[in-house]
Amino acid sequence: MNAPFPDAFSKYRTVFAMSVQRELTYRASFLMDRARSVTILIAFYAFWSAIFQDRADFAGYTRAQMFTYVLGMNVLNALVFSDKTWEMIYEINTGKISSYLIRPISYIGACVSRDAADKLTQMLSAVIEVALAWWLLRVPLYAPRDPWTYAAFAAAALLAVVLYFLMSYAVSSLAFWTAESGGPRFCFELFLAFASGGFFPLDVLPGLIRRTFESLPFASLLFFPLNVFLERLGPGDLARGFAVQVFWIVCSGFLVRALWRRGLRAYGSEGG
Amino acid sequence: MNAIQTRGLCKDYQVPVKRPGLMGAFRHFLDGRTRTVRAVRDVSFDIGKGELVGFLGPNGAGKTTTLKMLSGLLYPTSGEVTVLGRVPSKRENDFLRRFSMVMGQRTQLWWDLPARETFTLNQKIYSIPEREFARRRDEVIALLELEELVDRPVKKLSLGERMKAELACAILHEPEVLLLDEPTLGLDIVMQEKLRRFILDYQRRTQCTILLTSHNMDDVEELCQRVMVINDGQLLYDGSLEKIVRSYAPDKLVVLGAARKLEAGQLSPYGEIVSLDGTSAKLLVPRQKVSQAVGEILSRLPIVDLAVEEMPVDHIIRKVFLKAASSGSGAAGRGLLEEEDGEERKEKDLHERSVP
Repeated sequence: MNAPFPDAFSKYRTVFAMSVQRELTYRASFLMDRARSVTILIAFYAFWSAIFQDRADFAGYTRAQMFTYVLGMNVLNALVFSDKTWEMIYEINTGKISSYLIRPISYIGACVSRDAADKLTQMLSAVIEVALAWWLLRVPLYAPRDPWTYAAFAAAALLAVVLYFLMSYAVSSLAFWTAESGGPRFCFELFLAFASGGFFPLDVLPGLIRRTFESLPFASLLFFPLNVFLERLGPGDLARGFAVQVFWIVCSGFLVRALWRRGLRAYGSEGG
Repeated sequence: MNAIQTRGLCKDYQVPVKRPGLMGAFRHFLDGRTRTVRAVRDVSFDIGKGELVGFLGPNGAGKTTTLKMLSGLLYPTSGEVTVLGRVPSKRENDFLRRFSMVMGQRTQLWWDLPARETFTLNQKIYSIPEREFARRRDEVIALLELEELVDRPVKKLSLGERMKAELACAILHEPEVLLLDEPTLGLDIVMQEKLRRFILDYQRRTQCTILLTSHNMDDVEELCQRVMVINDGQLLYDGSLEKIVRSYAPDKLVVLGAARKLEAGQLSPYGEIVSLDGTSAKLLVPRQKVSQAVGEILSRLPIVDLAVEEMPVDHIIRKVFLKAASSGSGAAGRGLLEEEDGEERKEKDLHERSVP
């Protein structure tokens, strides 16, 4: 007989709790990682302060909107891009994934729990950093006027989290076929940081490139949710943005499923 | 009903063909050639419920590959395998809940956290009721002397300590089938003995089916009545340990201690001299002549100490492999089967096995 609903998820809650414990074990790594984010934050602040020194808006963004974009990007980066699917590459290459495969637990479920733990710790830190930046630097922030904007932003951010997880899981699955999947994974992350609007709003790019990125899954990860928050999208753009997110989630979901099934057949269970 | 059954099990691997050196690496980068290596060839055996079977073979013989197919980690290239009536590679929850595997170098313990945390995780994974879990956990901690260790991060444990914690973790849900890959690896002699006793007690108490691989012949001698010997991916022998000892060790070892110096001429009529060092000597004497030889030695020589011993099992197994190597595995396998007596065949029929 199947375990009742709450019991079926207790294993994933335990993986989550253990992952948080583990995150807290490596305090130095965690702090260094956050130091990197703070450095990027300061660099962006300096850059956009210089741009807005003698103008009131840039590429359609007011000063408050641009600084909200930069600070929001820091928080959303922590929420969307914090993940542990790098571990998947290591676990496949070394055979460590076997310890999950021989137990009645879903590996993808365990990955979601580990990711959630990483996101929680990274997010808490990012929120504190942004609060400090706002307080110390007196950064002007944009507050949405329509209360529904918060709900739409939450939905867009959640879909971005799901989409990024599936995409990174699919890329990490390449480790089933090659021991060199770390390289593609690194390029994937670097390209995403750029194409998702993680360096600057995509509005500054030429129209064709921007539209291409908006149709592909990349802009759905940061640029779209932040623009939802900044209330820069009309109803049509909003609907289109959500449709793009859902479309790529469905595609990535099918891809992950196919790669996982084929990957298990190709898995060599190296070592041991 | 059999707990484990395989029929014509084969597993092929694609391995890169690379010449040595930097140029070899460049060439391989460009052509990416691979060749097929057959790791397991046509292996068929049955293991009944509650059996404890030793799986022996040199490194690279195909033991771990077979174990991985039994656990569902690897898909067979051809052939069939069922464990508890299920096809392992389907990874059905009903199968995964009733089976467990301890791999010598693969840990399910979380490296950075104390083993106790992984114990709790396994409680949730296998849905073990709280009180039952506490009882089993405390029992296994006491039996394996883990009291001091379970609250230390796993990375701080020695290999042997980790192996004990690993075994404890793997049996908390009381699996019906347990696959053990080198369970005493890295343990000191005292702990090896304790672990063996623990495995034996556990198996008797739960009637769990256990298949273990080990290079430690003490494990095999103390735990297994039945052994399967594999070399070069082929099953060479499947039967009782006693029979393989009798077939491959026609002699017994007679160890002598004398009051005066012994001469080779005094000993050679009774058997082959293995060692002679003043007043002590070792002789290999054919089994059927042991009692006669011992009687004569005691009456004619100034013996103060005498012991008759079996040849160490590792020597015997080495002889099996050497024979396999000298005549080709397949031939050796068939040769081995031909050497078995009627009783052995009956035993094999009982196991419903079919080695080609």
